[in-house]
Amino acid sequence: MITSALFYTFAAILIAAALGVILSRNPVHSALFLVLAFVQSSVLWLLIEAEFLAIVLVLVYVGAVMVLFLFVVMMLDINVEELREGFTRYFWVGAGVALFVVIEVGQVIWYRSQNLEFMVRPESLPADYSNTKELGSVLYTEHVYAFELAAMLLLLAIVAAITLTMRKRPGLKAQDITRQVSVRREDRVRIVSMDSTKD
Amino acid sequence: METLLSNVVPFWSSFSGDLQLVLVSAAKVIVLLVPLILGVAYFTYWERKIIGWMQNRLGPNRVGPKGLLQPFADLIKMLFKEVIVPANSNRFLFVIAPLLSMVPAFVAWAAVPMSDTFVVADINAGLLYILALTSLGVYGVILAGWASNSKYALLGAMRSAAQIVAYEIAMGFALVGVVMAGGSLNLGDIVLAQQGTSIASWFIWPLFPLFLVYFISGVAETNRSPFDVAEGESEIVAGFHVEYSGIAFGLFFLAEYANMILITVLTVTFFLGGWLSPFAGLPGFADSWLAAPSLIWLVGKMFIFMFCFLWFRATFPRYRYDQIMRLGWKVFIPITIVWIVVEACMVALGIGPWSGTV
Amino acid sequence: MLANYVPVLIFFCIAGALGIVLLTLGFVLGHGSKDAAKLSPYECGFEAFEDSRMRFDVRYYLVAILFIVFDLEIAFLFPWAVALDQIGLFGLGAMAIFLGILVVGFIYEWRKGALEWD
Repeated sequence: MITSALFYTFAAILIAAALGVILSRNPVHSALFLVLAFVQSSVLWLLIEAEFLAIVLVLVYVGAVMVLFLFVVMMLDINVEELREGFTRYFWVGAGVALFVVIEVGQVIWYRSQNLEFMVRPESLPADYSNTKELGSVLYTEHVYAFELAAMLLLLAIVAAITLTMRKRPGLKAQDITRQVSVRREDRVRIVSMDSTKD
Repeated sequence: METLLSNVVPFWSSFSGDLQLVLVSAAKVIVLLVPLILGVAYFTYWERKIIGWMQNRLGPNRVGPKGLLQPFADLIKMLFKEVIVPANSNRFLFVIAPLLSMVPAFVAWAAVPMSDTFVVADINAGLLYILALTSLGVYGVILAGWASNSKYALLGAMRSAAQIVAYEIAMGFALVGVVMAGGSLNLGDIVLAQQGTSIASWFIWPLFPLFLVYFISGVAETNRSPFDVAEGESEIVAGFHVEYSGIAFGLFFLAEYANMILITVLTVTFFLGGWLSPFAGLPGFADSWLAAPSLIWLVGKMFIFMFCFLWFRATFPRYRYDQIMRLGWKVFIPITIVWIVVEACMVALGIGPWSGTV
Repeated sequence: MLANYVPVLIFFCIAGALGIVLLTLGFVLGHGSKDAAKLSPYECGFEAFEDSRMRFDVRYYLVAILFIVFDLEIAFLFPWAVALDQIGLFGLGAMAIFLGILVVGFIYEWRKGALEWD
């Protein structure tokens, strides 16, 4: 009973936050609403006892991805008016995606109404059950291909990020410590032997 | 006493199980939170005393005997100071930012075990939980910097965010090494995995490089000297909280010190056997209280590292920003990756004290 | 297992309440006079003349992207470290390949100068 009360509370906050993402005019507020939405969905995952996924959602999405989002939104001076102009152009694509989602949700509700049990409610797990461990015991053995594929994707992300953003600024006066340390006397000082002048 | 007990017990059991759980947890939270806040208060006092002594001064000595009431005087002063919300700032975010900084710093303490029986929330993925919550602290900093609409604040926030982010990775990798050795994400289990003879079975020995990386990253993560470029009072005045005054500043202060104490308790838990006694298992101490695990040992070990925080502050000059980034990315991350590989090899070959053997 | 998280929720409420009470007290107790000079953002010697929310070097975004990648890597490492005693040498080998691929990425970053901060 209490679990479902909690579920409805957090689900309501989640929906409100999601509405806030698309309705608020200030992009920073939108990003913060998205953070709230992520936190709430992680609580929902926790309620179906997916402990590891819930915490990793907070760790990766809230702790890392949204920090990048905020960096971008805060510092890039996105001109809201300009973005509005593209609204009609992308309206039909957006409407298509929305229709698709509505059909999917409708399907789920329809299945539910037919009383077909396609998703069993997870039973309550004992207090010392570690689903991180359970996940670990299959991820690196049964699903090893997907796991290595993830590594390749991450490598791709590194390479792409660097090629997109790296640029050398000309005329930079940076200190090169290895060069400083490895300098020898001969590089800096030249000893010239001269006859002493007589007068 | 008898009658009191006979009255209380039925009263207590008349509550439903859920309500009992809520009341017990609330009591536990209070029992943890009150000493924690007092600890923060006296940590600031102690900091001023220690640094005073190191600089041949007396430190606070006017309020109360030996200045012992100084933290309370500070609190009262801060409460009565005006909270200025600068013009052109984003009012709501400006006010909410200190809360976003303070709440995660305290809530992360929920998963930290104080002894083998007392822990507020006995979470299986406790270590991940703490990592997730400490990564939330960066929001308070970024929002404070952005909402103030001040150049110094924004510069400080960006510096601090990039720095926190860099050291969090080194910290995460170091903790992977701890989990490999402890075989669990539960902090209590990690401590229990270090049981044995005296200090020999603590993780500090096999994981010594990770211990150094973890503690130094912790200092950098809390933006403490010598990594305090985010505040850098001689360059950007006070960094992200330059516009904050009164108790709004006080909340950032509270968060910073709670985070520092959190780093010390985590270092002790992961590498120095938490509440375990250094005399455990030694001959001659078998029945002595000295060998028994207790809160005293935890706090005693924490004191050493808390002192280190202050000692660093009094000793080292501030790092330059590019040096900080180099240390995080180019020194600490390679060290931790190499040590994880070394540990994996040792596990594969069955060398070392690991609980997990292949 | 959910019962383990009840204290977290309560802790969250208590810590949040404490923060809100302190802030409210601060706003109630500490009131003073406001004037334009007091409310203007801090500047060093002159009046603030432009919006302070400026563009930043792209380096900060690069650091944030690399952070996401490494954070994900850590998220993959934790279940492995916990399940080390169950997955045997095969699991160790799988992680060796995973780490190997990512170390290649790390070396690439390093050689490209993405970790340089100048």
